[in-house]
Amino acid sequence: KINLMDELTLKGVTQYYAYLEERQKVHCLNTLFSKLQINQSIIFCNSVQRVELLAKKITQLGYSCFFMHSKMAQHHRNRVFHDFRNGECRNLVCTDLLTRGIDIQAVNVVINFDFPKTSETYLHRIGRSGRFGHLGLAINLITHDDRFNLFSTEQQLKTEIKPVPKEIDKRLYVAEYQ
Amino acid sequence: ADLSDKKPPSQDLQDKVHFLFNNLSTSTLQQKVEEFTALVGDEYYDWVAQYLVMKRTSIEPNYHPLYMNFLDTVNNYNLRKAVLKETYRNIKVILSSDKTSNNFSDRAILKNLGRWLGMQTLAKNKPILHIDLAMKDLVLEAYHRGQQDLLYVVPFVAKVLEACADSKVFKPPNPWVMAIMTVLGELHAVHDLKLNLKFEVEVLCKHLSLEISELPPSNFLSDTERAKKLCQLVSQKDKQSGTGT
Repeated sequence: KINLMDELTLKGVTQYYAYLEERQKVHCLNTLFSKLQINQSIIFCNSVQRVELLAKKITQLGYSCFFMHSKMAQHHRNRVFHDFRNGECRNLVCTDLLTRGIDIQAVNVVINFDFPKTSETYLHRIGRSGRFGHLGLAINLITHDDRFNLFSTEQQLKTEIKPVPKEIDKRLYVAEYQ
Repeated sequence: ADLSDKKPPSQDLQDKVHFLFNNLSTSTLQQKVEEFTALVGDEYYDWVAQYLVMKRTSIEPNYHPLYMNFLDTVNNYNLRKAVLKETYRNIKVILSSDKTSNNFSDRAILKNLGRWLGMQTLAKNKPILHIDLAMKDLVLEAYHRGQQDLLYVVPFVAKVLEACADSKVFKPPNPWVMAIMTVLGELHAVHDLKLNLKFEVEVLCKHLSLEISELPPSNFLSDTERAKKLCQLVSQKDKQSGTGT
């Protein structure tokens, strides 16, 4: 069984986008990490190079982060994922590897540092496979070039991605605030 | 619902503290503690304590050991004291809140706070004083108030006592601990006690390497005279429904 799309759901996930320029992305990330209450987060990039670059950059900026991508050996990936799941670091920068939805309960924020090219990828990144679809927040960093992708993703998944509000209600992504 | 009753630092400093806790992990601990010490003066410790208890430890039980490690590494008496005080305060707010609406998240938060309290006190060989929180009376009072209160109190007490396993002083057969365990054993024998509460007691016994059948018999709960004299901690003194979080 390869296609697990129908098991993924966007229920319980609040989705926002921030419209910006490429060079503002890291700054935006900093702002998010100063305003949100993050237990663990996953940050997605569209290429192996960008994963490595971003992970290096934000580690220098004082983030607690691991990275993982498709050019890494499988046993190495397993190790990173295992340690991340055990909470040894707070944030994971990666490409599209986690294709069955995120079932790590501690992950309450997912950030699309690069917006995915297809809606299928979007669903795999953001969608939850857990039966209870625990709460989460998804933030998409959108540049000028992504605007059509954003629109078609919304259409195809019949969902709504709103602009980031000034204050984000904690009840939307921190389970015990319900 | 906010942190306004403690003198808050500037927005800029708050953001830096948020960032710091969002990126606190075992490998960044030393660095973050240095940043924290340089960044936050002790005039803000009350605010930090409130943030740490209400926004972090009460809802992020997965990081309790990490946050404990953080406090130990900062190693500041005033900060520890402020955090402990804030923990007791939040526990009391939930215990005295309206428990009729089946508020699952309040119960989850209370359990988390219980574990966090145990880690700060019993696990470090420090007592939970009667004036701070009367643990045994709490069970007695909840028992007399009924099912709904027991659903809050029993898991909470069990979580607090879990920390005894890590303690030199408070590990069984410490008399203070055994006195509470005996009462929990008596409660366990009550025939119509909810199954999940019985389970909580059993799990705790296992954790402390105790046999529930070998706990001494007790008639503490059935003593109605004693119940009348209680200080009524669990009761709803005023109609506050918030949890304080």
